[in-house]
Amino acid sequence: MRLPIQINEQSAEPLYHQIEVQLRALIVSGQLEEGTLLPSIRELAQTVKCSVITVKRVYNDLEQEGLLRTRQGTGTYVAKVEEQERDKHRLAAVIEALEQAIAAAKRVQCPEEELRSLFDDTISKHYE
Amino acid sequence: MFGETAIQLTGVIQKRPNFRLGPLDLMVPKGYITAIVGPNGSGKSSTFRLMLDLNKAGEGTIEVLGAPVGRGDETELKKRIGYLADEPFPHEDGMKGTEKADFHRFWYESWDVNRYRELLQILGVDDHQALGKMSKGMRRKFEFALALAHGPELLLLDEPSSGLDPLAWKTMIDILHRYMEPGDRTILMSSHIIEEVKRLADFIVFMAQGRVLGMYEKDELFGSWFTFFVSGEQLTAKLAAAAPGQCGVEHAGGSTYRITTSKAAETEAWCLREGLQLIGRQALELDEIMSALMLQDRLSNRS
Repeated sequence: MRLPIQINEQSAEPLYHQIEVQLRALIVSGQLEEGTLLPSIRELAQTVKCSVITVKRVYNDLEQEGLLRTRQGTGTYVAKVEEQERDKHRLAAVIEALEQAIAAAKRVQCPEEELRSLFDDTISKHYE
Repeated sequence: MFGETAIQLTGVIQKRPNFRLGPLDLMVPKGYITAIVGPNGSGKSSTFRLMLDLNKAGEGTIEVLGAPVGRGDETELKKRIGYLADEPFPHEDGMKGTEKADFHRFWYESWDVNRYRELLQILGVDDHQALGKMSKGMRRKFEFALALAHGPELLLLDEPSSGLDPLAWKTMIDILHRYMEPGDRTILMSSHIIEEVKRLADFIVFMAQGRVLGMYEKDELFGSWFTFFVSGEQLTAKLAAAAPGQCGVEHAGGSTYRITTSKAAETEAWCLREGLQLIGRQALELDEIMSALMLQDRLSNRS
């Protein structure tokens, strides 16, 4: 299986973090269902062109969070995600994206008011 | 650093009339793909030959898969290794592919004829031709299949893709990834091809002028070498030169400087501290990192 994970080599964000955020989102959004067998460490490393050390780190982190579980010899599976847990993670991804948007705004010295109105405009463009 | 060691070189020196290799200290971890990169004549192929006792080191110790190398009989050790040399051997030109395969079958008890046939089929190789009659790429693919057919624990690949067309190259990469799947196998390879190193390597070793300049985990390496465009009214060339890990400063018009750094995260924090604006960033390619490391090496040798 090929996971829809895309990485940006030019980003300031470490590679393992980029992969982790996207894989977590795939799990908590329910796109990867409970019990799904994930690609092997070498396989995922090959598709995203990173080292196996990075993938090991991602799988370990998500296992610690209870989103994945590894069965000796058979592979890594998506664990059962509780509703409450899912909400927490779901919003965490959104909050992180907003943080990044604000960082981008600060880089171009965009004042708070301008950012707010941009935000409102964007919302009204997508919701309705 | 990472569990078990597949190859350990300690203080290895080989002196030749026109070239001195070493002192080499290198640890190749088991279970990973390590790629050696470096300019022509940096000693990559010689290092492979030392590991196989095809050449003798004057000083130092070499250990491969837990066994010492250079003390006489390495037959048992060599059965556990697959080796693809950088150049084909001219004395084999008249030999048919099938004849060379018979020779391998004789020496390697673990020779797997089905695996061999499968590899030839995937790579599109006909082994009934004489090796000297095969095209360069065809002979390369044949030798590659041969190196893998006895299921070695360790693969030593000296520029495996030289002479391969893009399709064969991609097939080779897939085969190597699949070879690594069990998790306890090791590849040490040399390469000039940036994309190949990016796709395959877990660790990267830089070599130049017979020495190891450094060994890095791939993602950490690419994540730390960046060129930043930094701007600020108070920014001068002198201040820019003080950036952490700085390996090059260039004026980029107005109050903007182009700073190349080997410590991207620290340089970013430094910009914040100094009240400087980071207006652009560009990750360095492998060849650019190599030139920067070689320059640093030359400077540190001079002082």
